Amino acid sequence: MTRCLAVLVLLLGFAPAVGGAQAVQNPMLRRAQQAYDNLEYRQVLSLAQAALRERLTGPERARAYELLGFTYGAMDSILKAVDAFKQVVLIDPERQLDPNRVSPKAYSAFDVALRQVLLVRQLRVDSTSFVGGQGAGGVPIRFTVTQPARVATRAIGAGSEGTFLIDSGAWNGQVNLRWLARLTNGDPIPAGTYTVVVDARLGQNAFSASQPIRVTHGSVDTLLHLTNLPGYQELPETEIPPQSWRPAGLAFLYTGGALIGTLGLESASLGSSSKRELSVVGAAALVTGFVMMLRKPAPRPAEGNILYNRLLREQIARRNQEIAKENVTRRQQVQLSIVPLLKPSAGGAR
Amino acid sequence: MRPAGAALAALALAVRVAPAPAQRVTLGPQFVLVSYREVASGLRYEGTGFGGAVVGRFRRLSAEAAVARVTLDPADGSAGLRGFTATQVDAWLAYDVAPYASVEVGIAHRSVDPELDAQSVGAVRVGVRASSEIGPGATVTFRVDYLAAPRFSGGGRAPFSLDLGLGLDVRLAGRLHGTAAYAFQRIGRKTDPGGTGETSSPIQQSVARVGLALGF
Repeated sequence: MTRCLAVLVLLLGFAPAVGGAQAVQNPMLRRAQQAYDNLEYRQVLSLAQAALRERLTGPERARAYELLGFTYGAMDSILKAVDAFKQVVLIDPERQLDPNRVSPKAYSAFDVALRQVLLVRQLRVDSTSFVGGQGAGGVPIRFTVTQPARVATRAIGAGSEGTFLIDSGAWNGQVNLRWLARLTNGDPIPAGTYTVVVDARLGQNAFSASQPIRVTHGSVDTLLHLTNLPGYQELPETEIPPQSWRPAGLAFLYTGGALIGTLGLESASLGSSSKRELSVVGAAALVTGFVMMLRKPAPRPAEGNILYNRLLREQIARRNQEIAKENVTRRQQVQLSIVPLLKPSAGGAR
Repeated sequence: MRPAGAALAALALAVRVAPAPAQRVTLGPQFVLVSYREVASGLRYEGTGFGGAVVGRFRRLSAEAAVARVTLDPADGSAGLRGFTATQVDAWLAYDVAPYASVEVGIAHRSVDPELDAQSVGAVRVGVRASSEIGPGATVTFRVDYLAAPRFSGGGRAPFSLDLGLGLDVRLAGRLHGTAAYAFQRIGRKTDPGGTGETSSPIQQSVARVGLALGF
């Protein structure tokens, strides 16, 4: 029963990692794989070592060492497991184990192996686009150095673009760099294909990883001129006042004024006049006032709205002036687009 | 005088701010009605005639001139024996001191034919004018002018003379305006025939002008 449980644990621990490997062509390595699947560890050791003496491809060789590492781990030979995993990462520096799918022993042995070998792993250059020379822009570059080392990062042009030092420093572990991609005079680097090369050196040991990228130039988008401010709309500059008695009232007032004035100025010695002339004109004024009272009033300027619209137009004009200035600057700028390309080959120890 | 003063005060209080009309010129003919009294209540005339008026405005300045030629006949019960023809010329030059108020100066002149059938008068006028827009294109005005330094064909003097008026201008359609104006003139003429002492010989005239005008 105990043996059955151990088998089950081992199967759960190692089988996924093994199952995820590439197809194996070498017969000896395939037999080692079968022996590992059958938990025949001693046979795994002899078969895998025999396979390593044969001509193997890189992935097959890495797979053979990996089988040895897992087997030594299962047999509690941690030092040997570490040695085997060191060979694995030297052959395939990007090799990664899933801590959720391999046994803790194997994973810790793999982790120890990584710390004992100088590697530059997981070099990533993100796709990005930014305005050349702007402070906020830059190309994000990430990689992991497995040991404390002097690391130099360069971008090497494929043609006449030249070579640019991105960073040089002592690093260990995860490294995040931001490359502004500009020349010493501030201009953006020429368009073209570059290879980002990370060289790590620790004493006599050295390792380099690379990632090709393509840099293209484009024009910076200019800003559109504003025709309105979001959330603010022009108001009507005229308003129709409500109907009122004012026209008739004014006509009555003026006519009454003329009548009172006439009556007041009439000379007693000359007698009272017929008021024929005043009747004609006064009646015309009163009728006009009455008609105007009934008519829809004429639109009149809405001073508040006029001032508001004037302010709004001034704001838009001011903003458009700023946009025009900004566009002049933008037309002189270059939009840099960086796209990582497929790697032609992995890095390696030197 | 007290009712006239009250009317002026009421106008000054009641007239609301109305924007001055835009720069323009109106010109047109007018039909004229006239009533004229002189010296005593028995000497009164009435008549009609034709005339014309022109009004111009430039910013705060406005000018107005009116000419009328009327034929007056003795009214019913008048002591006058025969009528006469009068030519009335009025002119004003005004300056807006407020959107609804102006000060104005001008002249008033009336000549009579046959001469001495009535008094020919010439005077300088100084006064104020109020105007209000009572609707789209409709304006009413009220004016009071003091007639200064009057001269009479029959001699005499007039220490106190007033002229008040009511005006109406309505834009009927497009450039066509309808105009109406009323003017009441009271001249407190005093004469001293033969050096026997001054006697009152007042002159009183009311005029109504109704017409059409074209605006430019």
